Amino acid sequence: MRALQYFFTEAAGSLWRARGAALLAIATIGVGLFVLGFFLLLNANAQRLVDRWSESAELSVFLDDDATSEQLKTIDAMIERSGLTAGREYVSKDQALERFRADFPDLAATAGASGRNPMPASFELRLRPGARESTGAVDGLVTSLAVLDGVADVRYDRQWLVRLNAIIRGARIAGIAVVALLGLAAAITASNVVRLGAAARRDEIEIMQLVGAPFAYVRGPFVAEGILQGGAGAIVAIIALAGVFHLFRLRFGTAAAAILSNAGLTFLSLPVLVVLLIGGMALGCLGGYVVARRVT
Amino acid sequence: MIEAHRISKTYARGVYALRDLTLRVNKGDFVFLTGPSGAGKSTLLRLLLRRDVPTEGQLIVGGRNLAELSPRQVQAYRRSLGFVFQDFKLLANKTVLENVALVPRVLGMPPAQQQRRTFQVLKWVGLQHRMNAYPLELSGGEQQRVAIARAIVNDPVIILADEPTGNLDPDLSLEIMNLFREVNARGTTVVVATHDRELIRRVGRRAVTLNHGEIVEVA
Repeated sequence: MRALQYFFTEAAGSLWRARGAALLAIATIGVGLFVLGFFLLLNANAQRLVDRWSESAELSVFLDDDATSEQLKTIDAMIERSGLTAGREYVSKDQALERFRADFPDLAATAGASGRNPMPASFELRLRPGARESTGAVDGLVTSLAVLDGVADVRYDRQWLVRLNAIIRGARIAGIAVVALLGLAAAITASNVVRLGAAARRDEIEIMQLVGAPFAYVRGPFVAEGILQGGAGAIVAIIALAGVFHLFRLRFGTAAAAILSNAGLTFLSLPVLVVLLIGGMALGCLGGYVVARRVT
Repeated sequence: MIEAHRISKTYARGVYALRDLTLRVNKGDFVFLTGPSGAGKSTLLRLLLRRDVPTEGQLIVGGRNLAELSPRQVQAYRRSLGFVFQDFKLLANKTVLENVALVPRVLGMPPAQQQRRTFQVLKWVGLQHRMNAYPLELSGGEQQRVAIARAIVNDPVIILADEPTGNLDPDLSLEIMNLFREVNARGTTVVVATHDRELIRRVGRRAVTLNHGEIVEVA
């Protein structure tokens, strides 16, 4: 405990002496972690959007207006037998018209103005999570349903969801690469600031080595210095993220809520924020340790 | 206590800093290493501080061959030493008290004991009233007394001093030497490197004269 107190007191003193460089390092670490946090924020909300779209009708079977109840039973039975669906909902023509009017209020007056409901009845199917990946089986079901009597059209939304998922995955990989580079830059910046501090404390290090101070005692302040820089950088990043998120929600919150259901945009969860903070400290710790190994 | 068996130290291009040197210093001895600049005094102290190892021969202190110590054993060995340099090596941004207390502090001594030991040694060197001053506010003699306080605060078995009076006038030099004599009287082995023959004469202890890395006289 005394040793920890010594490490952090010395580290704080050293950072204060080189406060200009320390602020630069904190800003660099902050930028790196901000980009990481921003990426996580985008990813989390985009994933929620995809999940929500995935939960809604992925496969729609539009019915002829004159489809008979026998034909509906046949269609329903085929869907049931496929074992690919997690749920299905019959949407009548009236319900479809209501939905259209709700989704497109500007066009509500024109829909059905002629006295005839133009919306078809349909079955809206949600696929099982595993079925989304088995392209062949779902394609087979689509083909089989399309040729049944009473079926006007089968709309399979999976293709664009798959594409969207692929885009998100690609963006995630690109994001990880950018974050890794920024993380490396942050660690290097932190280590350079710690090295400046080490140069200023050269005499002290020499004396500590001459009196036989344990390695932990000589190196500890450098590691603590890195941890302080990294932690401060992470806090800066989290505050900046919260600010940007707040501004974005003020500006686009209503639109986002309409797309993402009532919950709207969500900020990073507490565990993710803790990981960001610890990540920042770990980056700084790494930079500090590298310097400590070199100078002692 | 200190046994040097035919030790040599060469640097780049085969230049000898020490050549085939054999020396014995018993526990409780007070020994001067003297000779002109470049004679090898500081090199021998560097080897004794284990900042370097001999190129040839064996340097044994307290029964341990210094060349064979692991890094952790070097730390343990250095904890048994006290050192004093010509340029004092005090930390300008720390007070007298903090400079001296640094040693017990980094060695993990409990705070109360740190304070007690530090105050005792500062009182012993006569600087208890300057303990909150910074080194640059002190005279050369006072700074060297702080360095001596730091050297003895850990109760070492050997004190190594490299030209400790090099920056001081003759009266202050004798004053510093008297402190070393007092430390020695308590059983601590003292090895002092100096080129000041007059000082050696006034202190009147064993003197080993080096020249070109070799012992040329023991008096």
